[in-house]
Amino acid sequence: MEVQKEAQRIMTLSVWKMYHSRMQRGGLRLHRSLQLSLVMRSARELYLSAKVEAHEPEVPLPPVRSPDPRLHQSREAEAVAEAAPPDGEQPSPEPMDTREAPPAEETPARCAPRPAKVSRKRRNSSLSDGGDVGLVPSKKARLEEEGEGASAEVSDRLQPPPAQAEGAFPNLARVLQRRFSGLLNCSPAAPPTAPPACEAKPACRPADSMLNVLVRAVVAF
Amino acid sequence: PPSCWLFCSPLLPSPLTPALSPHRCHPPPSALSTPPSPGEGGEFRKQRPRGTQQGHHLQRNMAGAGGGNDIQWCFSQVKGAVDDDVAEADIISTVEFNHSGELLATGDKGGRVVIFQQEQENKIQSHSRGEYNVYSTFQSHEPEFDYLKSLEIEEKINKIRWLPQKNAAQFLLSTNDKTIKLWKISERDKRPEGYNLKEEDGRYRDPTTVTTLRVPVFRPMDLMVEASPRRIFANAHTYHINSISINSDYETYLSADDLRINLWHLEITDRSFNIVDIKPANMEELTEVITAAEFHPNSCNTFVYSSSKGTIRLCDMRASALCDRHSKLFEEPEDPSNRSFFSEIISSISDVKFSHSGRYMMTRDYLSVKIWDLNMENRPVETYQVHEYLRSKLCSLYENDCIFDKFECCWNGSDSVVMTGSYNNFFRMFDRNTKRDITLEASRENNKPRTVLKPRKVCASGKRKKDEISVDSLDFNKKILHTAWHPKENIIAVATTNNLYIFQDKV
Repeated sequence: MEVQKEAQRIMTLSVWKMYHSRMQRGGLRLHRSLQLSLVMRSARELYLSAKVEAHEPEVPLPPVRSPDPRLHQSREAEAVAEAAPPDGEQPSPEPMDTREAPPAEETPARCAPRPAKVSRKRRNSSLSDGGDVGLVPSKKARLEEEGEGASAEVSDRLQPPPAQAEGAFPNLARVLQRRFSGLLNCSPAAPPTAPPACEAKPACRPADSMLNVLVRAVVAF
Repeated sequence: PPSCWLFCSPLLPSPLTPALSPHRCHPPPSALSTPPSPGEGGEFRKQRPRGTQQGHHLQRNMAGAGGGNDIQWCFSQVKGAVDDDVAEADIISTVEFNHSGELLATGDKGGRVVIFQQEQENKIQSHSRGEYNVYSTFQSHEPEFDYLKSLEIEEKINKIRWLPQKNAAQFLLSTNDKTIKLWKISERDKRPEGYNLKEEDGRYRDPTTVTTLRVPVFRPMDLMVEASPRRIFANAHTYHINSISINSDYETYLSADDLRINLWHLEITDRSFNIVDIKPANMEELTEVITAAEFHPNSCNTFVYSSSKGTIRLCDMRASALCDRHSKLFEEPEDPSNRSFFSEIISSISDVKFSHSGRYMMTRDYLSVKIWDLNMENRPVETYQVHEYLRSKLCSLYENDCIFDKFECCWNGSDSVVMTGSYNNFFRMFDRNTKRDITLEASRENNKPRTVLKPRKVCASGKRKKDEISVDSLDFNKKILHTAWHPKENIIAVATTNNLYIFQDKV
């Protein structure tokens, strides 16, 4: 829970910073926007992985980087992505719509750092040594939730999508919405343990409203 | 007397310069160039008429910090206002010595450039080096407005680079986010007198009162230093310029913004060549930006640029016109034990500097300084931790925006010591030979000339010893981002937010 709260806090903070940076003299700075979006993405991933852990204490394997076919369907631009970078050639961001995110197709040059990013999924082990209080899922929290189980399959289903929204400015709001609908709709496939969806729901709701606020903030931005 | 720090020419600008907005004669005074109140450290002396321009500095022993002959750093001077209330325009944004070290230029957020000149050494008092006094002040850049994009363009000076001296005048390049300017700084110490048609004050005489003719002659006058813009290199950058670097051919230079690097000829302002372009076809796929770029000090075909991902690319301009493909890629694999939430953004390189020899380059990221051998791409040969105690505070530093601070770094003249800034007005030096390091503070408390600076220590955790400072009591508003080292002597210029400190070794 702490981890989720902290991740939420950082996401909110990042959105605020991004909004605020538009007002400063000299306009949006590309580098700053990039860094803010990286932190936002990390926070989102942390939030989601913490959420998953809350219901599935087994450490899920890092997902294979297989692009979600849904994402490849269309190549239309996203509002948030346009809003964030101060691309001199695109003066004003379009209002957000529900179009699909463009595929995260990497040019060969950019594939190189990918493995490093994939390995970031092993957040549980590598971060536990870090000093960031509140950001690291504590072992204690995981043990407490050991009882509630959910399938590894479910977690696998949940994990891959965040990995795909690569590129610096994913459509944060849209992805968040999709992730949450996935979480709520997931059914217990293989394991006999209690369906995580039912258990997830009550726990989700308070967080949901928070995320909806965030989503609205991003949309407004 | 005002004449010794006058900054504009009463003459019309040369026809060589393109149409410019009228060069202001009296820019608002930068706090750096106003004399300190009595009792303050650092005397402001009248500029004496100078003799020859030849180097008049003895070659001092270039021992490093904590080297064989342990250097002791002493306070020498401090420039700038004393108030705690810092005017935003006075925030120093760049510091640079010229090639001889005689001149020291600073740029500020208000678009002004202040140049200090070292006094000729007094032969009698040979134990003290000349002090730096204001030589010239001028308004380099003004705020502009881009109407098409509805964006204000800041006048803040991002970088100053000196050209090597070829004649009596001095030349420097200064840049803000969008425009680079070549400035000529020249001295005038005589003026014509005895005109027939004009009075001495410039008023025209009534021709009927002219009864005799005389030939005007040049008479000495109080030294006047004039700065005039000779070239304006504009409209070549879509994104914000972060670096400029003069080539060793002294004819060309590069300018780098977030996504592109352009090559210019110093004589030609209406065009430049794009030599690096990392802009992706789809901006949503952007993962990396250029953070700094520099030409190799000796090879005129080689330059490097650093990225926000912590990589450095070395490019050879002979390979192709567009140097998108690097010749060498310098990247250190990330230490998995150090991975954290903010790893990605603290690995961004904020500065890259070649050593004077050209064999090494130094990079600065948020927590460390790394020295790379140009012959080895897979890891740096030396790594120095600047303020490792901040690694556990990254979240707070993200909240207060300090994590985005861009620290610079510099080499000493013999490439044996490197220096960089930190918080709480601390700055650090690392001796590459002895592997010793030292932390010093730029503070007005030690402002008696020749006071030896006491080494400082930050207590990371646990019991704080006497004289140590705990991490939590560090002032993160007092940051030293810009430092410069004299090319030949042990004199350093350290910029706090709005003050410039000059330290030198104990002689």
